[in-house]
Amino acid sequence: MRKFFPVEDLARDERFNQITMDDRMADQRTAITTDSRPSRAANRIVPSRGDASDAARGLMHGIFVGEIQALEGAGRTCWDFTTGEEAPFELKLDMARQCWDEARHVEISIKLSDWMGSEIGEYAENTVLFQAACSNDPVLRLAGVNRALEGLAIDVFTTMKEFGEVAGDQYLEFAEDWMLADEVTHVKMGSDWLRKITENDPERRKKALDFQSVVDKLFSYGGTRSESQESPIGLARRFRELAGFDDQEIDVIADLSLAALEERKAAVLEAQAAHN
Amino acid sequence: MTVEVTPSTFTYVYFDSAYISRIAQRLIGLFHLENHNIRIDVNETTPLAKMHIEFGDPIVINIQSGAFEDFSRPRQQSEPATTQSLGRILLKVRDRLSPEFANAPADEDLTLVQVAIWETYCVARLSRHDIDINRQRWLYNFRNRHGFNDASDRAFEKIWNSNDLTWEQLQSISDTAIALVQ
Repeated sequence: MRKFFPVEDLARDERFNQITMDDRMADQRTAITTDSRPSRAANRIVPSRGDASDAARGLMHGIFVGEIQALEGAGRTCWDFTTGEEAPFELKLDMARQCWDEARHVEISIKLSDWMGSEIGEYAENTVLFQAACSNDPVLRLAGVNRALEGLAIDVFTTMKEFGEVAGDQYLEFAEDWMLADEVTHVKMGSDWLRKITENDPERRKKALDFQSVVDKLFSYGGTRSESQESPIGLARRFRELAGFDDQEIDVIADLSLAALEERKAAVLEAQAAHN
Repeated sequence: MTVEVTPSTFTYVYFDSAYISRIAQRLIGLFHLENHNIRIDVNETTPLAKMHIEFGDPIVINIQSGAFEDFSRPRQQSEPATTQSLGRILLKVRDRLSPEFANAPADEDLTLVQVAIWETYCVARLSRHDIDINRQRWLYNFRNRHGFNDASDRAFEKIWNSNDLTWEQLQSISDTAIALVQ
């Protein structure tokens, strides 16, 4: 079986349309408003938002395709590296457990999407998650996928769980809560293995943390996730702590996300000025 | 009757103003709005999908680009989305012009619950014009505003299967559903 599978070759049927981060960045439109009035500036996905159910459906589809790619990424990590030499057996066992979780999450996400009135492939699939899982160093994969992307998943699931709770949608609330518990475990796996494998290799650890930072920044693009109400997705500090992030690490992500939001707002103002 | 679409050429998205105009003309005929001049202003700087009506001559429909977009192919226009969005808003225009909706609050005064009942009513009638509608999407939207319970679902069914409701009747169905669970 082939090792190190390129993102372009991921198997999908005709319902899916894949886009890259470049495609996303080429879209100059933004949902972030430069209007500072609280009623206009809040973009957080909450039931009180006018387009709440559509926004939640879109995010749910994003979760669904993210789960597929997380399954594919963890599966590749089980296969791409030689047991013992390149990756410990116990690490692969954790990745196998993660595959089991992600497969279940895919099924849950499909059922939730049906419940919310979405169809598979209704939204584009951004393949950046799998791209982060293509590194040839398993430690970088753990940093990029388990810590950065699964960390984002903690933020997303918390936002959706709270949405379900406030809206009174118990299916959504409980399903997101269960998946959130798994994601915390996945991030913890990443944190634990990163520390263990790089215990005597500070250079490799630094490289992995730098890679995580790049992925975190990529996923903060446009201010999609931050502690500001202007971002659709919040930063789930408590669950990140449970997953092994320390306060300083969370602060760095919070600052990075806020900077991305401000960067995007400045770009919007510039684009609007040019347009007018 | 005239239909104008602005901008005539899009820069942020790959939309076709002539195509939007053709779809609008078909729907205007379907809903007997031929006696009105209509201008459709597309705000292409945002991917959101809000719509707003300004009554006058012409009647101006402000639409954010997400309302016409194919979400699986960002920035591309979707024929079904364009039809559904224009259909919804044009039915609302027709309602607003009728005496049965004379007492409906102004758009800016509508609560989220009122927006949901009116949208459900519009989409339901649209579905009977052979226009493809995902009923579950609108049921989910309705439940978000009325609660996830049987009374809410019964209210939705009643509105979904109706054609000649007044604003007061719509409001009453909604009020009953909410009162039953309080």
